[in-house]
Amino acid sequence: MPLKRRSAQWPWQGLLVVILLGLAVGLWIATKQVNYEWRWERVPQYFAYQDEVAQVAPFAGRVVKIDADGAYSQVHMLPSAGGSPVLITVETDTLKIADGAQVAEDAEIGATRHWRVGPLTEGLWVTIWLSFASGFIGLIIGLIAGLCRISKNPALRGLAVLYIELIRGTPLLVQIFIFYFFIGTVLNLDRTIAGIGALSLFVGAYTAEIIRAGIQSIPKGQTEAARSLGMSVAETMIHIVLPQAFKRVLPPLAGQFISLIKDSSLVSVIAITDLTKSGREIITSSFATFEIWFTVALLYLLVTSVLSQLLFWLERRFARSD
Amino acid sequence: MIEVKHLIKVFEGRGQVVRAVDDVSTQIAKGEVVVVIGPSGSGKSTFLRCLNGLEEFDDGQVVIDGIDIAGSATNLNAVRREVGMVFQHFNLFPHKTVLENVTLAQRVVRKREAVEATDKAMALLTKVGIAEKTNEYPSRLSGGQQQRVAIARALAMDPKVMLFDEPTSALDPEMVGEVLDVMKQLASEGMTMAVVTHEMGFAREVAQRVLFMDAGKVLEDAPPAKFFTAPKEPRAQMFLKQVL
Ligand SMILES: Nc1ncnc2c1ncn2[C@@H]1O[C@H](COP(=O)(O)OP(=O)(O)OP(=O)(O)O)[C@@H](O)[C@H]1O
Ligand SMILES: [Mg+2]
Repeated sequence: MPLKRRSAQWPWQGLLVVILLGLAVGLWIATKQVNYEWRWERVPQYFAYQDEVAQVAPFAGRVVKIDADGAYSQVHMLPSAGGSPVLITVETDTLKIADGAQVAEDAEIGATRHWRVGPLTEGLWVTIWLSFASGFIGLIIGLIAGLCRISKNPALRGLAVLYIELIRGTPLLVQIFIFYFFIGTVLNLDRTIAGIGALSLFVGAYTAEIIRAGIQSIPKGQTEAARSLGMSVAETMIHIVLPQAFKRVLPPLAGQFISLIKDSSLVSVIAITDLTKSGREIITSSFATFEIWFTVALLYLLVTSVLSQLLFWLERRFARSD
Repeated sequence: MIEVKHLIKVFEGRGQVVRAVDDVSTQIAKGEVVVVIGPSGSGKSTFLRCLNGLEEFDDGQVVIDGIDIAGSATNLNAVRREVGMVFQHFNLFPHKTVLENVTLAQRVVRKREAVEATDKAMALLTKVGIAEKTNEYPSRLSGGQQQRVAIARALAMDPKVMLFDEPTSALDPEMVGEVLDVMKQLASEGMTMAVVTHEMGFAREVAQRVLFMDAGKVLEDAPPAKFFTAPKEPRAQMFLKQVL
């Protein structure tokens, strides 16, 4: 075999860097043109923020002592009506009263701070669990529909074909509207349930086709060997065909699931507060339109690429018996 | 043990009608070894596959150990337990180890305990000479080794009959012997066997009877000594001239 000539890579890598830099500069100039003021510092608070809770005097009385212990201060109050002193803890920098002051009932003494989950984190969480729930249900639907699709029974097969064609032939957005406004109204469904239902049916149809192809890709000899050992149709499926088919359909199935995470952004149209809807809501109050959309895109990208990596790892583990 | 009466299997497809098995009647006694030979496309495989119901036949009757396999009350899965089959392309389960290949059906179909199934599998794998490969996956085995695992897998069900469909045709020549040796041993132990093969040496040595098939029909049914020296049918004579 002749030695493969290694052509130099670095000029092309250099060109790549130049192109990327050019794009970045172009973007920067473009935003300058529209006089956009970037306010990236506004973004983090939408992931998590510190909430201040005001601490008020439970009764009228006098502050007898303040123990400043670093970040926190212990305020000792003696009720005017008599009784033993009461301890109130607040953040030192929020302290509103001095030692020895007289305070009325419900007067603000200071505040305590608590970390709260911001709307972006909440939206991300909704997107993730919505996708996992729909993905799981969709997988079951797809498995059943896929098996029906290759069944010998014409009624089952016809139903499966009808379902798959209907779903694959219409836009997801329209399906979500139909599911929410028609089925949701008839069955009186919660919007979240309607959203999961629409997504599950959608992903189920594609999964069914993937599973059908996977099952049919297993050589007939496998089924024949299993059947001639006395296994029933179901036993053959469970022990022989599906495990092998699963290994083959794992990559397209995972691809479908990654698509689902992105497609799930469409449920924001029926007012489910997923990542996309959260982003839209934040923009109305923050005016950081570009930053938020970029952040939202980055979050989707983060989830999908973590899943891609996971899939890569799984595939390598499954390749053991080949 | 096996009785076949007026068996007919017709394939229809794309306007063509193939009478793959055309009115075959024969029987195989307990402990008998019958070899089926014939030119390619003569219906040997189809005939064999009808015997365990892998192929649904159109007419006639197949009775195995007193059970009509096409009978309306017959549980075909229960019949197949008693009829082992070995394929040309082995058809081992690639996602299972050698040991699991041999234990799976024992556990699922015969409902044996893990220990019992494993003991049985180990004994059979030792018998076919691959006890040291139990934890390998089939893809790591040679063709001859795979076919011997396939035989062990079928034997693990304690079948009353074994069907072999060209078990050595997909093997490199140097591996044919090891598989035939296992089959010879099986025959000498009194297993009832129906073997489709092109190994005339095996037929001569082991078979009690040779069936010669052509165009779906059994044209000759004779002991090997007679068949190989003085075949009656002209087509059998032609066939023998070509293969010997
Ligand atoms: N599934 C099928 N559909 C249509 N025709 C078939 C099918 N299986 C077999 N046949 C036809 O039936 C005839 C008999 O085939 P069979 O496989 O039984 O022959 P064979 O004797 O085993 O041949 P070989 O020695 O090549 O294995 C052939 O003409 C074949 O084309
Ligand atoms: Mg054949």
